[in-house]
Amino acid sequence: MSRATPLQTVRALAAGYGPRVFQVRGWVLAAIVLAPVGLMLAVSAAFALHGDALPPGSALAVFHTILAKVALPILALIAAPAGIREDLEQRTLPLLLTRPAPAWALPMGKGLSWFAWGAAWIIIATLGLQILGGDAGLLPGRIGALVGAWWGELAFVALLGLTFKRGTLWAALWLFGWENLVAVFPPFLQRLTFTHYIESLAGSRGHSVGATELLAQAQVNTEPWLALVILFLAGLVFWAACGWKLHATPVGLAGSEAEG
Amino acid sequence: MIKLDRASLRYGAVLGLSPTSFELPDGGGIVGLLGPNGAGKSTLLQLLSGLLPPSGGTVELFGQAPFRNPEVLARIGLVPEGDRLPVGLKGRGWLRMMGRLSGLDGAPLEAAMAKALDTVGMSERADLPFQRMSKGMRQRMRLAQALLHGPELLILDEPFNGLDPEARLTLMALLRNLADGGTRVIVSSHILSEVAQLTDRILLLFRGRLLAEGGISEIRQLLDRHPVELRLTGESRALARWAVEQPELVAMALEESAAVLSIRNPRDFLPRLQSEAAKGGLPITGLDPLDLNLEAVFQYLTKDHA
Repeated sequence: MSRATPLQTVRALAAGYGPRVFQVRGWVLAAIVLAPVGLMLAVSAAFALHGDALPPGSALAVFHTILAKVALPILALIAAPAGIREDLEQRTLPLLLTRPAPAWALPMGKGLSWFAWGAAWIIIATLGLQILGGDAGLLPGRIGALVGAWWGELAFVALLGLTFKRGTLWAALWLFGWENLVAVFPPFLQRLTFTHYIESLAGSRGHSVGATELLAQAQVNTEPWLALVILFLAGLVFWAACGWKLHATPVGLAGSEAEG
Repeated sequence: MIKLDRASLRYGAVLGLSPTSFELPDGGGIVGLLGPNGAGKSTLLQLLSGLLPPSGGTVELFGQAPFRNPEVLARIGLVPEGDRLPVGLKGRGWLRMMGRLSGLDGAPLEAAMAKALDTVGMSERADLPFQRMSKGMRQRMRLAQALLHGPELLILDEPFNGLDPEARLTLMALLRNLADGGTRVIVSSHILSEVAQLTDRILLLFRGRLLAEGGISEIRQLLDRHPVELRLTGESRALARWAVEQPELVAMALEESAAVLSIRNPRDFLPRLQSEAAKGGLPITGLDPLDLNLEAVFQYLTKDHA
C-alpha cells in the first residue's frame, strides 16, 4: 500500500491547486500589489512631462506606507482564506483527509501556490518601484523584506483562519491595529510585528517620522540577515501550527469540527 | 476487516451514534447501511473512514484505528454525500493530485488514473472543469478518486441522491462489478428499494442506534406484517366493494372520491390490485402509498423493540 510523504503531499497540493491562482482572486492579488506602483510611475511620468521630478524619498514612502503596511496585509487577508480554510467551508476537506497523506502537511501545500504567485508580483512591484529611484544596493533587502513578510503573514492569517471562526477579522486587527499601535509601546514589543522585520531588512524609515508620530518610541534594530531568518522561521512555525491544528481536529463530512 | 466495539460518537451534547458493535469479515461484497435521514448513517461512515475518532469504544479497520492513520486510509476509498468538489479545477488535474496524495506518481499514477476513469466511464470527459460537468459526471469523478489507489474497502454515503435513473443503474452495475472483484463496498441509503437492488446484507440504523444486522428479506417481512395505508382514487363505493373482499384489508375509510385502505402484506395485495385495474374491473384513477416507506417501517420496528 502506497502512501504520500510530507514532501509529496506539499508538492501534490501546490501543483494540483496551482491553476487556481489564475482565477479572479489571483488577479485581484496582482492588482493590489501593482496598482500603487503603477500609479506612482504614472504620476512620475506626468511630472517628467512638465520637467519636474517626484520629491526624493517618494519610492521609500510608497514601499513602507503602501506596500508593506497596506498591500501586503490585504494580500494575506485575501489569499489565506483560499487555502485550507476554503476546503473546510466548501466541505471538500474530507476528500483530502481520507487520503493516505499526512494531514499536517495539507495547509502548507495548499498555501504554497498562493505564496509563489504573490511573491512573483511582489518582486515585480518592488522592481517597478526601483524605477522611481533609490539606492539599488537596497533592492535585494527590499525584495527579501516583502517576500519574507508575505511568507510569514500568509501563514499567520491561515493559522488564525483555521483556529478561530472569525480568524480573518482577528488577523486584520493584528495587521492593521497592533502593527501600528505597537510603535507607542515599549520598544521590545516591536519585535512582535512583521513591520519591524520589514524595516530591519529594507532600511529604517526613521527619518520620515512626522509630527503625527511624536509618541513613537525609539526603533529597535535587528540585523537584516537575522530578520530574514526570523520571518522565514515564523512562517514555518505558523504553517506547522496550522498542520498540527488540522491533524488534531476531527473534521467531519459537514466540514465542522466534532468533539471526538 | 471492520470491527466496532461499543463505538459511539457525540457531537457536543448530541449523541450521533449510540454504542454500536458489529464485525464485517474480509472479502468482497456489498453491505447496505440503511436508515431514514438522521439515523446516524453518515456518523457511522465518518468513523469507518477515519474522519472522526469515536467518543467511546473502538473502531478498527484492518486491525487498526482509522483516524488520521495513513496505513488504514491507503486501503479505503470514500465517496462522501453531496455534490462537493473544489471549484475552479479540472477533473483530470484534480484526480492526478488525489493520486499523488495516495503516494502514486509517474507511470503507475497515469495507469491508475486511466483505469479509474475507464471504470467510471469518464475517460473522454475528465478534462472538463468541474463546473461544466453534469451532476452525474461529478459523482463519477468522486467515485474515480475513491477507486484510484485500488482500495479494499469502498465507502459510499448516499451515492444515488440526485442521480437520474440511468446514472443510478450504471452506478449500481459498477458497484456490483467492484464487489465481484473482491472489493468490500458499504453503501448508505435511506431508500429501501435502492439497497434491495444492490445487496441482501444490511445494517439497520435508527436514531443513532444499530437496530438490526442481517438480510433484507427480514425487512420485507416486517413490511408485510406492518399495516400500510394506501389511498385509491376513483369511484369510492365501487373501490370499497372490491376492497372488502380482499383478505389483506385491516381497515378502510371512505372519502368523496377515494378510499383509504389499511392493508397487510402489500406485496400480495398490490399485484392483485394492479391486475384487477388492468382488466378494467376497478374504477381507479390514482394510487398513493401513504406510509409505505422506510420511516414507517422503522417506527414500527422501534415499537417492536419497545
